[in-house]
Amino acid sequence: MRRLDDIDLAIIKRLTQSARTSFRKIAQELSISPDTVINRYAGLQEKGVIRGSTIIINPKKLGYQAMAVFLIDTAPPHIVATESTPADSSLILDKLIKMRNIIVATKTVGDHDLLAIGVALDFEHLTQIRNDIVKIPGVQDLQVSFWAEMMELCPKYFIV
Amino acid sequence: MPSQSDIDEIDVKIIRALQKDARTNFADIAKMSEVSIDTISKRFRRMRKAGIARGTTVLLNPKSFGYDCVASFGIRVNYPHVEEVVDFIRKIPEVVFCTQAMGRHNIFAIAVLKNVGRLGQVKEVIKGHPMVRDVSASIWVDEILLCPENFELNHLMRK
Repeated sequence: MRRLDDIDLAIIKRLTQSARTSFRKIAQELSISPDTVINRYAGLQEKGVIRGSTIIINPKKLGYQAMAVFLIDTAPPHIVATESTPADSSLILDKLIKMRNIIVATKTVGDHDLLAIGVALDFEHLTQIRNDIVKIPGVQDLQVSFWAEMMELCPKYFIV
Repeated sequence: MPSQSDIDEIDVKIIRALQKDARTNFADIAKMSEVSIDTISKRFRRMRKAGIARGTTVLLNPKSFGYDCVASFGIRVNYPHVEEVVDFIRKIPEVVFCTQAMGRHNIFAIAVLKNVGRLGQVKEVIKGHPMVRDVSASIWVDEILLCPENFELNHLMRK
């Protein structure tokens, strides 16, 4: 992959501060043409350097009281998989990320097989999310840690 | 100060649109919501002022910046030293998130690292704190799926 140059980095920096900054304004700040900014942005997206853009919301202001991480162990596929309910971890992952209130999901290597991070309105809601995850075929074991301090949703590398 | 009950259908539409693409034109959101562009930009400003929205940002791929390893740590510590250990871990430059937690772990942290070797070093650093009892690390592999739009917002709507 071509290395990122100073202009790329300056554009990225500006957009991490505010993704809505107009390309014209960025061009002015960097003393380059707006077309250059547009082309660079398209290029960065094409190369997958920029995966998207999002609004950073404060979950607390929207009534969310807690976040939780769900550490999931999957059953070996040959034990639980049947033709009608395959239990491949990719399929579990796919189901996880389609669940409401799960904002991050990934396969992991190490202590567990899958990890998901969710937001919960209250304790009852948290319990409900946990129960929904347990119901996914192939989920063998689940450990939960939860916290009240909200991370900013979407720190620049994610994620969340 | 506006509270969550002040959020209505138009606000939710704005949040939804910007969660998918923060650069969405206010004109498009206005058309979708059948209100004026001015209303959309006023609503957006109001949500920022109220702290509902903290801003917008681009989502970056850590690999493009030479960070090949994203990992999370579940940490158990000796009470009552949780806060002290959280402060200690937050000082590690690669740690992007660290919080006290309840349940399986006392502390949960996420780090973005150059490689697995560095992950090993960071794990040792955390383990080296005298109040830490154990550290378990999980490396996030393949594509990390992010779905900020999975946030349920229906409970907020004024009926």
